[in-house]
Amino acid sequence: MKIAVDAMGGDNAPQVVVEGIEKARDEWSDLEFVLYGDEEQIKKYLKDSKNITIVHTDEEILGTDEPVKAIRSKKNSSMVRAAKSVKDGETDALFSLGNTGALLAAGIFIVGRIKQVDRPALMPTLPVTNSPLGVNILDVGANAEAKATYLQQWAVMGSIYATDVKQIKEPRVALLNNGTEEDKGDTLHKEAFDLLKNTEEINFIGNVESGDLLAGVADVIVTDGFTGNAALKATEGTATILLKELKKALMDNGIFTKLGAAIVAPSLKGIKDMFDTSRAGGAVLLGLKSPVIKAHGAANVETIFYTVKQIYDMLLNDTVNKANTYFEKMNKEK
Amino acid sequence: MSEQEIFDKITALLADKFEVDKATIKKETSFTKDLDADSIDLVEFVLELEEEFGAEIPDEDAEKILTVGDAVTYISNHTK
Repeated sequence: MKIAVDAMGGDNAPQVVVEGIEKARDEWSDLEFVLYGDEEQIKKYLKDSKNITIVHTDEEILGTDEPVKAIRSKKNSSMVRAAKSVKDGETDALFSLGNTGALLAAGIFIVGRIKQVDRPALMPTLPVTNSPLGVNILDVGANAEAKATYLQQWAVMGSIYATDVKQIKEPRVALLNNGTEEDKGDTLHKEAFDLLKNTEEINFIGNVESGDLLAGVADVIVTDGFTGNAALKATEGTATILLKELKKALMDNGIFTKLGAAIVAPSLKGIKDMFDTSRAGGAVLLGLKSPVIKAHGAANVETIFYTVKQIYDMLLNDTVNKANTYFEKMNKEK
Repeated sequence: MSEQEIFDKITALLADKFEVDKATIKKETSFTKDLDADSIDLVEFVLELEEEFGAEIPDEDAEKILTVGDAVTYISNHTK
């Protein structure tokens, strides 16, 4: 199994990428890695080249580049070369910390969609209050518009992923909506509800509201990309502001509050650990012919290590082909 | 390659991609209005055209390809 790595993407590339990949290589001896990027810079951080090949590239896709234009014009960039190697069958999966839009474009237009999947979806793992496994939510923004059939396809793929990678038997699949009752939502969500209810292969448990995203009420939450993106950013933004305000309240209110803060610090660390998502790896672009995974631009060595584990699990379980087989069967039965 | 050959190849490509009957595709067929193509479909189609005919289609030219006839004319003018 060979993983194509865009070594130049992310805030601390290539150092953190190389260190994370070396850690993963030391853990799984049957994995090989091809690092695409500036050879000189990569070599500076690479301690041992066992199972690691470097392919030199001299272009870089920047965070500010327009995605489709970038992948069409920067053909010798680390991301495009890595995607091309997956397309040509030289490698089995693509991993990047780079520009999300460009990676989506590289995934859709270079690696390619599974024929039966209308649109791929971006699926991160979010922490939940009652399980270290977290919740998978898709789509969080690969598509600005959606049809009910897309949501049905995403539900099936998300469910297969949760079974394979997170080893959850019969994962609970829910639809993000503006109320829990069956008749809630606009036409799209009502149609999606009916389709999901009648999809035998998934364990559909009904609607969930955005306030319950992190409450651990479902294993997979399906949503259109627009709503998913808004809900994700609102959740992240609220958490960030809350933590900042809490810190300010504890540190800026005199010596007694500071003393109190020191006493509750261990309990607060427990909350911080609960929301540490590095073990969940990266966000998967589901619906493509091979696994394509995006880790956060600021990801650390630990996150990169766990993202490789995530890819490894998808390859071992043949997760992509399972979805493919399911949709082929579904199309024949139509 | 004659325009008819190009047209036949393009209709085969579109019939497969959009799951429509080849016979229903005419030169006037619009990608967005008749085949319900969205922006992702259009980029995929341009890439398929490039691969099938070995052509490079710059973005500014791709934006002007709105119908099957536009695609046939473009390929005919830009390939040997």
